[in-house]
Amino acid sequence: MNENRFASGFLVPPGVWLLLLFVVPLVLVLALSFGYTDDLGEAIYSTRLDNYERLVDPDYLPVLFRSVGFALAAVVLCLLIGYPVAYYIAIFGGRWKNVLIALVVLPFFVNYLIRTYAWIAMLGDDGLVNGLFDSSIRFLNTPYAVIGGLVYGFMAFMILPIYASLDRMDPALIEAGKDLYGGPWQTFLHVTLPHTMQGVLAGSLLVFLPAVGDFVSASLLGGPEEVMVGNLIQQQFQASDNWPFGAALTVAMMAFLMIFMLFYLRAAARETREATA
Amino acid sequence: MSTVESRPTAPARPAAEPARAPGRPPKEFDRPRFLKLFMGVFFLFLFAPIVLVVLFSFNSSRSLQDFQGFSTRWYETFFESESLRESLVASLEIALVTMVIGTILGTMLAYGLVRARTRVSSSLNVLMLVPLVTPEIVAGASALLLFTQVKLELSLTTIILAHITFSISYVTVVVRARLVSLSHEVEEASMDLGATRWQTFRLVTLPALWPAVVAAGLLVFALSFDDFVLSFFTTGESPQPLPVRIWTQIRFGVRPTINAIGTFMLVISVVSIGLALLLPRLFGRRESGLKVLLGREAA
Amino acid sequence: MSADTVRAHSAEPSASAIRFEGVTKRFGELRAVDALDLEIEKGEFFSLLGPSGCGKTTTLRMVAGFEQPTEGHIYLDGEPVETVPPYRRNVNTVFQSYALFEHLDVADNVAFGLKRKKVSSDEIRTRVAEALELVELHGREKARPRELSGGMKQRVALARALVNRPSVLLLDEPLGALDLKLRKQMQVELKGIQREVGITFLYVTHDQEEALAMSDRIAVMEHGLVKQCSSPEDIYEHPSGPFVAGFIGTSNLLSGVVENGCVKLASGATCVAEVPSDCPQGAEVHLSVRPEKIWLDELEEGMVEVGGTIVERVYVGTTTQVIVELGPGMRVTALEQNVARARSDDRWQIGDRVRLGWHREHARVLR
Repeated sequence: MNENRFASGFLVPPGVWLLLLFVVPLVLVLALSFGYTDDLGEAIYSTRLDNYERLVDPDYLPVLFRSVGFALAAVVLCLLIGYPVAYYIAIFGGRWKNVLIALVVLPFFVNYLIRTYAWIAMLGDDGLVNGLFDSSIRFLNTPYAVIGGLVYGFMAFMILPIYASLDRMDPALIEAGKDLYGGPWQTFLHVTLPHTMQGVLAGSLLVFLPAVGDFVSASLLGGPEEVMVGNLIQQQFQASDNWPFGAALTVAMMAFLMIFMLFYLRAAARETREATA
Repeated sequence: MSTVESRPTAPARPAAEPARAPGRPPKEFDRPRFLKLFMGVFFLFLFAPIVLVVLFSFNSSRSLQDFQGFSTRWYETFFESESLRESLVASLEIALVTMVIGTILGTMLAYGLVRARTRVSSSLNVLMLVPLVTPEIVAGASALLLFTQVKLELSLTTIILAHITFSISYVTVVVRARLVSLSHEVEEASMDLGATRWQTFRLVTLPALWPAVVAAGLLVFALSFDDFVLSFFTTGESPQPLPVRIWTQIRFGVRPTINAIGTFMLVISVVSIGLALLLPRLFGRRESGLKVLLGREAA
Repeated sequence: MSADTVRAHSAEPSASAIRFEGVTKRFGELRAVDALDLEIEKGEFFSLLGPSGCGKTTTLRMVAGFEQPTEGHIYLDGEPVETVPPYRRNVNTVFQSYALFEHLDVADNVAFGLKRKKVSSDEIRTRVAEALELVELHGREKARPRELSGGMKQRVALARALVNRPSVLLLDEPLGALDLKLRKQMQVELKGIQREVGITFLYVTHDQEEALAMSDRIAVMEHGLVKQCSSPEDIYEHPSGPFVAGFIGTSNLLSGVVENGCVKLASGATCVAEVPSDCPQGAEVHLSVRPEKIWLDELEEGMVEVGGTIVERVYVGTTTQVIVELGPGMRVTALEQNVARARSDDRWQIGDRVRLGWHREHARVLR
């Protein structure tokens, strides 16, 4: 038996598994998105575009935009907060680099739900902060709370790739940049940032993707004004039992994300080319 | 920001300047002071919720505002509740089965992708990567749809099926990174000495891959144990895995038992990731588990 | 294919350890090995020598079973082996990268092949000890590969292969990764082991000195073809063509034309030479002379003489290379031994005119 045939055999079980349990379900979702719910509440496959028409309804379109908006806000904030953290650890961390990174990552071993719940505990009307300062500030049920929840939830995904690319960078480059550009800000803009662009892109993607589809933060930290597409989908599949519409929402979200991915891949490829040039 | 005072940039540095260890900051550059402050605040915000959860899990009262004394009552409530215990066991069961099967399938896929050259190889490669970038809600909804279509009742089994599906990619990525750095000649040597392809895989390839397989397995365990969204969509009535229970409890208001559950889950996750990082060392190899997970260096 | 490769087939054709019959290996458009016909005798130390890409490693891998010939047949001990997978052939390979099993200790590495054959554990113990004695690694059974130096790893690889008593041992540039001194030492050792064990060795190398030092016979390959197959002395003294002459040792290749039974060099000088019968008047040839065969100034009677100007002197310890320009674009390297008596920098300066000479029989006319 030659090697190719031997090794190809290994591809069969996982390949079949992924096909049946990953691809087929996605196809089903796509198919169902063209369906409708009958009077008995059963989801029927069909070829209607009703669900997609509903998407652009004034009821629903804002939800889609909001999701993207929140996710983008989360990315930006994660970047603004996460980059300096990664920078500090990579450049100034010294012997403590590994410990610091471990400390940064450690909170993310607490379940996402629990972490979000902790913010409720802290910022709720009966929460710790209001108790400590004897105040009654409404933190929760605001868009800021939801975005904050997303930022807190996915921060590690931004920090790690940026840290990795900073760590890989030769510190002599910063030295050289300093000689060339004089000021720390200039050096950062012209030397450090370009070299870590791949990490920045990766981190942004790793935050954006889950953030767009997230419903936990919006559910726990936000109110009816902060509903995201993830919440909608979850509702369709569980509360409202309108699976075809939920499927359409899912497809729309996936399509949007795939377009986003394409831009990312192209940008990343360009970065690689420029970096190796 | 003050201007950098000019220093002679002559090629010959003054002998007095100490030799710079790699990673040491360029002097009089950034003001680490500002960054240090920033880091401090950052860690404060990062850990405050965690500390809160852990601390108040030992609170003797229900309050979330005053710590009134040390007590383990919430842990007792947790472990005494039969349904919560069932959920814990369910979570562990799911994580274990997912770990075993996911690791097997993921390793097979990694081996096939690296060692076989077929017309479907590149498509399979893409297929393997897609779950990694698929939002969990899409994963959950589609899985739910599938199970409903085939009239499979939602239960632990459905959760396990869904978890395995999304764990394969993680295993493949970790194992593949290591497999690629394994020289093909070693496998040839094994066959040269009389071992069949299957024996070679068993006696030579697998032992060399073992640290990666173990690390990937423990990673999958932690991911499965902590998973919420996928489980949420594919769970049956009872028992439900722990994260789903937490969700329901949170929806009904803030309850101190959640602190205990959360702290407990934190310990489990930390232990399994810790094992993932340390076990390769215990196997007598000198590489750290972190390197294995990140795919650098083979033995 | 020179006359050397035509061997009188003995009464039993299966006497040869390895036989290649019209073996061709194609990778797409590329012919890595081209219609190879070769017979390697039992107990021979046979080397495949050539530059990278000449097909020597591919040939070796076909014997081992990791590649299949596109055309032709390979016979091991008289039996065809196309359908036999590597794990069932009675050959073992020593790889350039050693390919030791990192998760096993030295003893388990060496015992690997024996265990596959289900040899009894007592016998395994004895044979492993024997093999380690042979390669002088006795006492290292429990060591792990990563604790060993390159030279030691190489010995383990050798022991691991030899312990199975294969009919042929294949060695793929096994000394390539070692430093010079160790390499020279291992060459002597390997030759000694081969003699002691009596197994056929098929050795692949690009280092012609190595091949000359160790082999009973060498096949010089280029672009998938065997250019010459013969004993080391024969190849060195009587290279069959410019490629072999240039590849083995260093040689001066002077281009010229056959004129009246002599060779007229491109520089204008005419040299008396032994022109073979297949080089007619006007044929373009190369005159090949080894540097150590060229004398400077103090020539003997009857030597072929040319004149030139010294352009360079290179001191390499035991010898000095003197590079002489005979004419525009034609340079000759002569080798002078640095014996105690005369110091070359007294004798010749750059720019001096000098006479070069060699015995007629030391120059070969090659096409």
